[in-house]
Order: sequence, then structure tokens, then C-alpha cells
Amino acid sequence: MESKIVTVGYGKVKQVKIGDKLPLVFIGGPCAIESHEHAFKMAKDIGDICQKVGIEWIYKSCYDKDCRSSPTSFHGVGIDEGLKILSDVRDEFGLPVVSDFSDSTWGASTGEVCDLVQVPAYLCRQTSILRAAAKTSKPVLLKKGQFMSPWNMKNSVRKLEAHGCNQIILADRGTFFGYNMLVNDMTCFPIMATTGYPVCFDAGHSIQLPTSMGNISGGQREFIPHLVRSATANGINALFMEVHDNPDKALSDANTVIDIKYLENILYQAKKVHELRLELLEKLGPDNVHPKK
Amino acid sequence: MNIKDVMLSLDNFPVIRESVILKEALEEMSNKKIGIACVVNNDFKLLGIITDGDIRRKILTIQKPLSSIFIDDCIDHAILSPKTIDINDTLELAVNLMGEKRVWDLPVVENGILKGLLHLHPVVSALLRK
Repeated sequence: MESKIVTVGYGKVKQVKIGDKLPLVFIGGPCAIESHEHAFKMAKDIGDICQKVGIEWIYKSCYDKDCRSSPTSFHGVGIDEGLKILSDVRDEFGLPVVSDFSDSTWGASTGEVCDLVQVPAYLCRQTSILRAAAKTSKPVLLKKGQFMSPWNMKNSVRKLEAHGCNQIILADRGTFFGYNMLVNDMTCFPIMATTGYPVCFDAGHSIQLPTSMGNISGGQREFIPHLVRSATANGINALFMEVHDNPDKALSDANTVIDIKYLENILYQAKKVHELRLELLEKLGPDNVHPKK
Repeated sequence: MNIKDVMLSLDNFPVIRESVILKEALEEMSNKKIGIACVVNNDFKLLGIITDGDIRRKILTIQKPLSSIFIDDCIDHAILSPKTIDINDTLELAVNLMGEKRVWDLPVVENGILKGLLHLHPVVSALLRK
């Protein structure tokens, strides 16, 4: 299957291309939009780091967190305020932005503002959500459900394609390993890449311990750098991580967001490993170990 | 009696598009009770064939889960240059070709376009009636 390149960014924001042998792209930001001021601060601070490292990026933050375990957990600022803030981030920083949406009726509004629309992992096989994502005509970041095999993601890809979408990024965020535990099957990247679409590693959610804290999810952030090195060496096109300036006070996914003070180090390593992999591909050619026919 | 009179028409054997997944191709073979499926494009150009035997050999060889094989595009498991018989050839030639290649079925084509399927049993019956 020929490798496809996905272009993210419309209007005046910088276009970011993802796929094939292009440089690694970072997709990141605070899990949830917390306030206008916080969104701007994170866009500025993450942007400075990305510029220093020399990596292109897409700002990620969500306006509604619909998969919280507890009814009292922070649910988000809501679609109207959230999309206004994302629109302001685009205008101010010239950055492409991405948010997920968990209700099919929110798809159109999300697609009007966002450069990339995200399908949440839990909803990755919901036809109504996939149809709404495709109808936005924006590229789609499709997370692999924790319950899905990488090869069965072809079904979700085919649903998106059936509704006219041919700009898809497939992301792994871990696979359930019993209860309250995720693992990363690193073969998922070459398997999902057989669709031809770019693949992305969601490092933050991969170290999540789903609902391990009773009514919220835990996480082992210390494994993020290890997994990032593994995934970039394996072969990915984009790296996804949620970032916060004060993780312990983050209103969403506090146990899995990475502290911004670690971001530069991790992105630098990811970029270098990605470049080394491309160098080796150039020097040695593509892998020549093939499956039995 | 010629090939056109004996061959199975397109409605009576598995004819599938290249984007159909392998599991659906196998289901179609079960539904039509024939161990061969012809893979065609939208213009009915014959792209390849899938047979029971090919799949049996693959299951014994490919080291990946069956659920993963099922979701593959069927064309990825097809024989891409199958033996065929032209619609204007003779039944005798078809039987000789089947014997030589040790196959029971031959896709019938005309300028690369699939027209039908020649199955050994009706061919033998027709020749015996001659």
C-alpha cells in the first residue's frame, strides 16, 4: 500500500504534513481546555519548546471530556466556549488545532474550527461518530480503541472512507491487558500502517491505568520516555502527548499528562530517534524480512 | 456444445470485487457451494482467483491470527495470473487444460473480461452426451 501524506491546517495557520518519510510531528497540549488564559499560556510555552527542538506541532485540547469515570469530575468548558478558545489559539499563534468530539451532533461545529478532528478511542467503531468526522472534510485522528486489534481498525478506516474521508491518522493509545491495565503492542504500528495512512503514538494515554483509582484513572508517567523511544524507533509519523504546566492540578487526566518541564527532553529524543531511523532506512533500505506467503 | 453452453453464468458462482475482505469472499464461496471465487474490478476484468486450496495452504503457512487474515482485502490472497479459458475455445481444450493443471474450474474470459466459470462436472456430462 502506498504511503499517504496527511496535511493538517487550513486558512492562515501553518500547514503541517504527516506521513511517509517526513519529519516527526508532535500533537500535544493540555488534555482539557481549562481557561482562555491557560490555553494561551500552554500554546506559547509548548510552542517555544517545539521551536527550540525543531519539531512541527499541532495544538491539542478538548472542550468536553465525556468519558470521565466520576459524575463529579471536570467535564470541560463546553463546546461553544471551547471552540472559541481553540479558534483564538489558531488566530494568535498560527497553529493548527485538534479536539475530539464524543457526540455526533458536535462534529460539524468541531470541524468548522479545528484543523484536525479526533475520534476518541472508546468511540472508534461508532458509525455515527465516524460519519460525522468524515463529513467535516477535515483530516481525522482516529485512536485505536483499547479493546481493538490493530487489524480490525481497517473496519473503522473503511467507514471513514465510505463517507468520503481519505485523510486519516491512526493512533495507538494502548491495549487492555486485563482490568485497569494497558500495554503497547508495538506491532500495531506496522500493522496499522498497512492501510497506507500515517500512524501516531499516544504516549500519555498508553501509560494510563484505566480507572485504577476507583473513580479516576491512574498512570505511570515514568514510562513515557521509554515508550516514546520504543515507538519512534519502531516507526511512527506523529507523537501525541498531553502536556500540563502543573499536572497535579490538571483538571483532566492529571495522572497521565506530562509535566512541561520534561517536554523538551522527550521531544528531542523522539526527534533524534526518528531521524536516525530514517537515516538507517536510507542507508540500508526497507526491512527485508517478509511474512510467509 | 461449446463453452458458452456449459459454463456457469456470473450469478451462479462467487464473483467478488477486489475490496471485499477475505472473510466475505469465503462466505460467498460457501453460499454458492463452489471452492473458487473470481475477483473482478468494476468492469468485470478478471484480477485473480481465490480457491479453497490456496486458503488451506495459507492457513498452514501464514503465522498470523485468523481474525487478521479475515480482514485482509481478498485481492491480497488471490492468485493474480490464474489459468483461464477463452469463451471461444473448445470444451476438449478446456478439459485438457484442467487435466494438465490439475484444476476443476476455469474462469471463462473474453478479452480479459470475466464471462463465466467452467466447472469440470458439467463439462464431462456435456462431452458424454455428445
